[in-house]
Amino acid sequence: MSYLSISNVSKIFGGVVAVEDFNLEVEKGEFISFLGPSGCGKTTTLRMIAGFELPTSGEVVLDSENITYKSPNERNVGMVFQSYALFPNMTVAQNIGFGLQVRKTPADEIQTTVKEMLGLIHLEKHAEKYPYQLSGGQQQRVALARALAINPRVLLLDEPLSALDAKIRVELRQEIRRIQQKMGITTIYVTHDQEEALSLSNRIVVMSQGRMEQVGTPSEIYNHPTTEFVASFVGQLNLLPVSEVDLKNGVCKLNGQLVRFDHSEPRQISDKPRLAIRPEEFQFGQAEGRNLIQGHVEVVMFLGAVVRLRVRIGEVLVSVDLFNERNMTLPRVGDEAVVNFPPHACWIM
Amino acid sequence: MSSNPISNSVNTKRDAPQARPALSAWRDWLGVIPFFLFVFLFIALPSFRLLIGSFQDSDGQFTLKNFADLMDPSILGAYWVTIRISLTTALGGGLLGFLMAYAVTVGGLPRWVRSALLTFSGVASNFAGVPLAFAFITTLGRIGMVTVFLKLLGIDLYDKGFSLYSFWGLSLTYMYFQFPLMVLTITPALDGLRREWREAAENLGATSFQYWTRVALPILTPAILGTMILLFGNAFGAYATALSLTGGFINLITILIGSQIKGDVLHNVGLGYALALGMVVVMGVMMTIYYFLRRRSERWLKQ
Ligand SMILES: Nc1ncnc2c1ncn2[C@@H]1O[C@H](COP(=O)(O)OP(=O)(O)OP(=O)(O)O)[C@@H](O)[C@H]1O
Ligand SMILES: [Mg+2]
Repeated sequence: MSYLSISNVSKIFGGVVAVEDFNLEVEKGEFISFLGPSGCGKTTTLRMIAGFELPTSGEVVLDSENITYKSPNERNVGMVFQSYALFPNMTVAQNIGFGLQVRKTPADEIQTTVKEMLGLIHLEKHAEKYPYQLSGGQQQRVALARALAINPRVLLLDEPLSALDAKIRVELRQEIRRIQQKMGITTIYVTHDQEEALSLSNRIVVMSQGRMEQVGTPSEIYNHPTTEFVASFVGQLNLLPVSEVDLKNGVCKLNGQLVRFDHSEPRQISDKPRLAIRPEEFQFGQAEGRNLIQGHVEVVMFLGAVVRLRVRIGEVLVSVDLFNERNMTLPRVGDEAVVNFPPHACWIM
Repeated sequence: MSSNPISNSVNTKRDAPQARPALSAWRDWLGVIPFFLFVFLFIALPSFRLLIGSFQDSDGQFTLKNFADLMDPSILGAYWVTIRISLTTALGGGLLGFLMAYAVTVGGLPRWVRSALLTFSGVASNFAGVPLAFAFITTLGRIGMVTVFLKLLGIDLYDKGFSLYSFWGLSLTYMYFQFPLMVLTITPALDGLRREWREAAENLGATSFQYWTRVALPILTPAILGTMILLFGNAFGAYATALSLTGGFINLITILIGSQIKGDVLHNVGLGYALALGMVVVMGVMMTIYYFLRRRSERWLKQ
């Protein structure tokens, strides 16, 4: 049996289904992200693990102990809130030591742990400051240390970085990963930022409208999405209407031009079949053994590392991302364009 | 023109006073003129008059006799009973008001209870003087409705030692405007307690009691202290309620002052001034204690 197991968990708030039939097995030391749009039930699921919400049905088992109905203060799981939630009346050191203090841990032991935690988050110099004297990023690091100080069985983070600005966000993200790996702590991380989920996690749970859409490693989620929702929520995706789909031989027609696609995974054809392909799979020009399509450039956006084009092929607009090169001549709006892509990069949805 | 943003901002600062003519500075102050007028006319001037008057005898000659008179046991007793009643009703009303505010904010009562309590508090906190005394006399007086009703049930309040015209009776009456004031001032503070603080505390293993003693109450302390001093002052300066309820049966300082100034048999204006000055001193001491407690309790507040 896995370390943390969430089985058939549902939560209904007065008629609103917030979480439906959630099932997840988490191994010890794993870093799991819950990824999904606003209101899909990420926080609710996390709060059920923390004990702040009781499941309407199902159970949560941690380390072979059924904690479904255990009160939050007896679970020994650490939680980091989006809004930091530091106690404003306590110094950094007191905040970090709070969990040990209420456990009546001896003072010298508290001191040792607090010092260790301060070192871990690189805030040794700020031990005696009050939260209002710290920046948002520093406060969130303290909140992390406070949650870790009690040596929790699971660390839960609810969008811990979303109140911070972009640069700090990336910095702290790496910080969290470093600390998590160093301590080997089982972690569940809630976010609606796919980049965070992809870069941090061992596995990602993609959620939508209270249901799990797909569970998998970042590359599985990105490269082999099983539902249209996952495919379009994680990363950019072109969904191009096609006709004359032949699933057996993996061929179809896109605006009259023949396209071969990956038919190794079993798929069902809907009545409006579409070809799915990510923008970064395209290249410019002719190429042997690849799909070729012809159109003309309608939009050119230079984004630095990437040049994003919109190419019109008959009725449809296709997003094409090209990697920037120093000597590249940028296509111009109105140019005729031939783009190519490998058959294994696209599939039918 | 310098393109250096730092030197630019320094320039702007130096230019600012010139850019704003004196007239506009005047306009900024216009709104608070009534405030300063009131302070001057009704606080500064009377205080000054009080100070002078307390050192004068009835002929206007300098004397220290008024202060010597303050040492009279009956006057010291009056101070003491006034302080006691103010402390009692501040603490009692504070506690009661806190619990009620707690019930309608953090406690899970329906919304309408909250609006009902707040509306009542808005009215009741200003309900004092003759009407309040009258209300209590008609309910809990010797032949008040509740008294009579209880008597019918076989409970004789006045037989059991209760009297509306005693220390506790007066305290009870004061409570009527004391606890609503606490409700009004502490409700916003309780609303300011964030749910995440409670959850973070619980998550870290704290019991409800530990959360209240280590997180919530320390955070609320500045607000509680502020309200307590307000309640104390509120009771300390009350006059009409006590006078119309007990008719001078309980010797509050305010009633003593009233009788010195209004002029009946006891008429001695100088003593009245000295008594009032004594009140100012008591209030000053309370404010000083308050100031230090508050300073200690809000080190963590952004200044
Ligand atoms: N206490 C509550 N009472 C009623 N409905 C709730 C409650 N908490 C959450 N919900 C509802 O449950 C659904 C899931 O909410 P949840 O907060 O779990 O979403 P989320 O994925 O965390 O979204 P976000 O990214 O915006 O934080 C939403 O429709 C929300 O309105
Ligand atoms: Mg959420």
